[in-house]
Amino acid sequence: MPSGTGKTISLLSLIVAYQRAFPLEVTKLIYCSRTVPEIEKVVEELRKLMEFYSKQTRESNNFLALALSSRRNLCIHPEVSSLRFGKEVDGKCHSLTASYIRAQHHSNPSFPVCQFYEEFDAVGRQVPLPAGIYNLDDLKDFGRRKGWCPYYLARYSILHANIVVYSYHYLLDPKIADLVSKELAKKSVVVFDEAHNIDNVCIDSMSVNITRRTLDHCQNNVDTLHNTIHKIKETDAAKLKEEYRRLVEGLKEANVARETDVYLSNPVLPDEILQEAVPGTIRTAEHFVGFLRRFLEYLKSRLRVQHVIQESAPQFLKDIYDKVCIDRKPLRFCAERLQSLLRTLEITDIADFSAATLISNFATLVSTYSQGFTIIIEPFEDRTPTIANPVLHFSCMDPSIAIKPVFQRFQSVIITSGTLSPLDIYPRILDFHPVTMASFTMTLARTCLCPLIVGRGNDQVALSSKFETREDFAVIRNYGNLLMEMSAIVPDGIVAFFTSYVYMENIVASWYEQGILENIQRNKLIFIETQDAAETSMALEKYQEACENGRGAILLSVARGKVSEGIDFVHHFGRAVIMFGVPYVYTQSRILKARLEYLRDQFQIRENDFLTFDAMRHAAQCVGRAIRGKTDYGLMIFADKRYARADKRGKLPRWIQEHITDGSLNLTVDEAVQLSKHFLRQMAQPFRQEDQLGLSLLTLEQLESEEMLQKIAQVAHQT
Amino acid sequence: MASLSEEVLLVVKKVRQRKQDGTLYLMAERIAWGPEGKDRFTVSHLYADIRCQKISPDGKAKVQLQLVLHSGESTTFHFANESTALKDREAAKELLQQLLPKFKKKANKELEEKNRMLQEDPVLFQLYKDLVVSQVISAEEFWANRLGGVTNTDPAQYKYKQEVGISGAFLADIRPQTDGCNGLRYNLTADIIESIFRTYPAVKQKYNENVPHNLTEKEFWTRFFQSHYFHRDRINTGTQDIFSECAKQDEKGLKSMVVQGVKNPLVDLLSLEDKTLDEGYGVCGAQPSTSNSNRTVKESSNYAIIKRFNHHSAMVLAAGSRKGETPTDQASETSSTDGNSRDSDFFQPPVKKVKLQEEYEDLQQENRPKTVPLNLKKSDRYAHGPVPLQSQQYTTSQDIINSVNYIQHEMANYKPNLTQVLSSTVATSAISALSPGGVLMQAGAQQAINQMVPSEVQGELKHLYVAAGELLRHFWSCFPVNTPFLEEKVIKMKSNLERFQLTKLRPFQEKIQRQYLSTNVILLFSQWLRDWCW
Repeated sequence: MPSGTGKTISLLSLIVAYQRAFPLEVTKLIYCSRTVPEIEKVVEELRKLMEFYSKQTRESNNFLALALSSRRNLCIHPEVSSLRFGKEVDGKCHSLTASYIRAQHHSNPSFPVCQFYEEFDAVGRQVPLPAGIYNLDDLKDFGRRKGWCPYYLARYSILHANIVVYSYHYLLDPKIADLVSKELAKKSVVVFDEAHNIDNVCIDSMSVNITRRTLDHCQNNVDTLHNTIHKIKETDAAKLKEEYRRLVEGLKEANVARETDVYLSNPVLPDEILQEAVPGTIRTAEHFVGFLRRFLEYLKSRLRVQHVIQESAPQFLKDIYDKVCIDRKPLRFCAERLQSLLRTLEITDIADFSAATLISNFATLVSTYSQGFTIIIEPFEDRTPTIANPVLHFSCMDPSIAIKPVFQRFQSVIITSGTLSPLDIYPRILDFHPVTMASFTMTLARTCLCPLIVGRGNDQVALSSKFETREDFAVIRNYGNLLMEMSAIVPDGIVAFFTSYVYMENIVASWYEQGILENIQRNKLIFIETQDAAETSMALEKYQEACENGRGAILLSVARGKVSEGIDFVHHFGRAVIMFGVPYVYTQSRILKARLEYLRDQFQIRENDFLTFDAMRHAAQCVGRAIRGKTDYGLMIFADKRYARADKRGKLPRWIQEHITDGSLNLTVDEAVQLSKHFLRQMAQPFRQEDQLGLSLLTLEQLESEEMLQKIAQVAHQT
Repeated sequence: MASLSEEVLLVVKKVRQRKQDGTLYLMAERIAWGPEGKDRFTVSHLYADIRCQKISPDGKAKVQLQLVLHSGESTTFHFANESTALKDREAAKELLQQLLPKFKKKANKELEEKNRMLQEDPVLFQLYKDLVVSQVISAEEFWANRLGGVTNTDPAQYKYKQEVGISGAFLADIRPQTDGCNGLRYNLTADIIESIFRTYPAVKQKYNENVPHNLTEKEFWTRFFQSHYFHRDRINTGTQDIFSECAKQDEKGLKSMVVQGVKNPLVDLLSLEDKTLDEGYGVCGAQPSTSNSNRTVKESSNYAIIKRFNHHSAMVLAAGSRKGETPTDQASETSSTDGNSRDSDFFQPPVKKVKLQEEYEDLQQENRPKTVPLNLKKSDRYAHGPVPLQSQQYTTSQDIINSVNYIQHEMANYKPNLTQVLSSTVATSAISALSPGGVLMQAGAQQAINQMVPSEVQGELKHLYVAAGELLRHFWSCFPVNTPFLEEKVIKMKSNLERFQLTKLRPFQEKIQRQYLSTNVILLFSQWLRDWCW
């Protein structure tokens, strides 16, 4: 079911009720969502729920719920928060709050520190955050009133909060999870909302790409390290000795470092590493820098290739041992050792060292996992074989690696989304055994969605975005006709999705040449997504403005793009969604091929099945943008004849599938227009609460009636 | 009448008008023609009065130039000098072409205003027909105090006039047509030019800079259509193009819009992700870079088209919504407030909060006015068939049931009490009053005058009444007569009134008398008129 039909509130009310009944069994609810607005929406829903509770029970409950986000969204320091990019904010914050900075501030008060953090550190920890619901803005307000840093307050408070809402990166990305979510109680319930893409999130967080530029940056970093060590050695040799002693004692102690010191933490550290001491070869600072140099030179030599190389992690390790005599063990400690060194050298501007951190993370990852990863070295991009641009992809192929700790740690994990379909593929790719699985449809008082599959143009040319007919002018023209006809009959906003940027650019260009776009402009304004997020945001805002003032607009967008994943087109912002083609992923990419191979070998998932599944979940995401609630309505037009096939259609979410009739499987443009006209006219009639009562909306009496209870039991039985 | 102080711009001899040879003069403010051998003009038109000029096709034997006036009249000149006829005509045409637009604007504006007033006010239109078209008073007199009155005393009404937006497809309307010999013709109308200027202020600036000093208007637009600016899919190469600067300005504008960011946090894609992966992490980290160096020519031209459409749509949207102020002002204004918006979260407008709290209409208590849902017996007919325009008063079924109940109740309780209704004498008198010839029945006979006179006559009477009122208004507005001008006007108005009586009232009176002898309406009317005047 699409969002706006009560998914979030159902989950929340169920779990909160359980939490209230068994406070010792379920100590915490960790609710993970995808984007910042979605996180904030969850908190607002929660606020409503809590208000309802206190109204019904007439007592204020002592629940503490809060949202957690990055510094960029929570910082209230006037200087730091004015920075625009998350990375800058993090770096600046670090330069004001790191422990040695604060130590220097003690001896020299003119040294700048963050007042909010100082205040929080001095007072904030003693008094727990009072019970209540804290959205991001509430946290900031509270922080301003008290003069405390909201970010650290939130991070500190999640330990005793009853409900935490944050992005799923905080749990899945080992680099962040290690920082933020490490101490969360075992008896927590974890919910992954909007989780249809969760496998990609897992994979992204574990994959590394190294280009020549990264290596050059890293080279600079290493030189800086070398110089700094040299300097310190002359002035303060004791410090280095102290570090050496610490490293001998093992990483355990290093781990107790102050929270603010940890900037970009290491990737997954297997437990055994923490028990062991850092190997002697990289224990002293100079040795480690020398070690890094050698590793760097080796990587550089690997990037000087003329042809594509693909190898596994063990092959890579063997090669590196043969060539430059680097052992597996010191590589594993590389990330941790670098962090320790950066702390010791008191380097303020850690953001500069992102290249070195990346390399060291790569070293640790490649030496830790022998399975589920692949290394691909490409000397140039496929499209531009003449321009040398070597890239080393260290790509994760097994999403279960990143999510495994979550499954192991927490007692209940719920994975949910509006477009989780087909359900059974998720346990396979994430490698877990679900306790229960259910797919729900929507009860609707009126059929407010109208999926149509347009398979032919008016001239009977088959419409398809498949590779062979991609450049076919007849297809492009017919797609243009479809959009033009729709622009004439659909009120307000239309969103059209293409399969990729390149495809969209080509189509837009030929529509321009054929004058189709100009004809569309007679009906509506046209806005187009670009690869630049800021530009697209602007186009999006203008699009909404145009829908708002009645002019009507069309947004041309891309499946898998940012618009398709995070932006809702409520009501008149999206009365029709047109999906041009089936959004298959670019299948020629070597990384994808490797992943498909891995899926086939490890999980017995056929390549085609996975590709179709992936395409259909994105298509469902795109068309699902239009329906945001039961009073909303929208057309969903699938403009590709392949959607009519059972294997594609069957992979759409149930709530869409149900409304595809046999009659709407292979329509021409004209037929689709006729059906749409009919649908839109009917939907435009006033739709009131009474119309829904008893069908999709129940009063308390209706809900408790015998008849309804039976019906519910029946429905529950079916699923 | 030939005022010699006027500057004569062009003299063309041997021009025929109404089969009479003569000379055509083009002067600073008017065009005039005088027959041969006489020193006065028989034809003289102010440029401002001319709507357009038309010329005879090239192949035709007669070389002619026609001037069409705003009043609808036209004057045709025939260039009769055999050897140079064509050249003469071209010269006159060229000069007129340059002169007319200068006067056009002023005239147009006034004319438009008048047109609008007449269209918006049917009574005024009728008045205009009665007084001006029938030549009781001249058009100037008619407008003299009307226009001023509207623009001066009632500016508020004028201001509220809704601004008209720009069609998104105005550039599409300029479809080039091939003229057969390797050339393209673009048809530009004043509307399109206006749209272009409003949407692309940079072009307007260029226009103001270059026309007419450096380029003629035609040249300007020719260059516009040839420019890379118009054809955005071409890559900008040359810098000699005057529009390359416009393109740069647009680029700048677009960039500043992008830098400003968006106000609605829900559509800000930059802050959507909570934790973006750092550079170097992630599977798609090495996506094809978007820098221009790596793009092929085709790709960057495609990209340019996309950018152009976004910009175009944004500008059209802005042109529709901006009122008076220039976009740059707007931009600087918003950017200045935007600069500190991040730390002024305290005062963040409640927009965000409202948007976050999703409202479910179906879960809210309704407090909208009750509407009647359309009850479709045959929804197909509704969806496909023609839609009849009918307005009907609906009563809810509850209302009907209530009133039926009420009436039933009343009827059930009704008990006639006949003895107490009327005394017999009163009843008798009432009956006699109601029988034919009685007091109350006479009124009925008199009322019939309404029905006796057909509605056209009534309408005519009404128009006459209004017209007379208008004339009287003019007349009385002259008092007190304290300037010679007013004196003159009073006399003129008096004659006007007399003329009105003569040409309009008399015939009407006679007509009425002929047809309906018994009526004395007109008598009353003319008497009233006389009373008013003297």
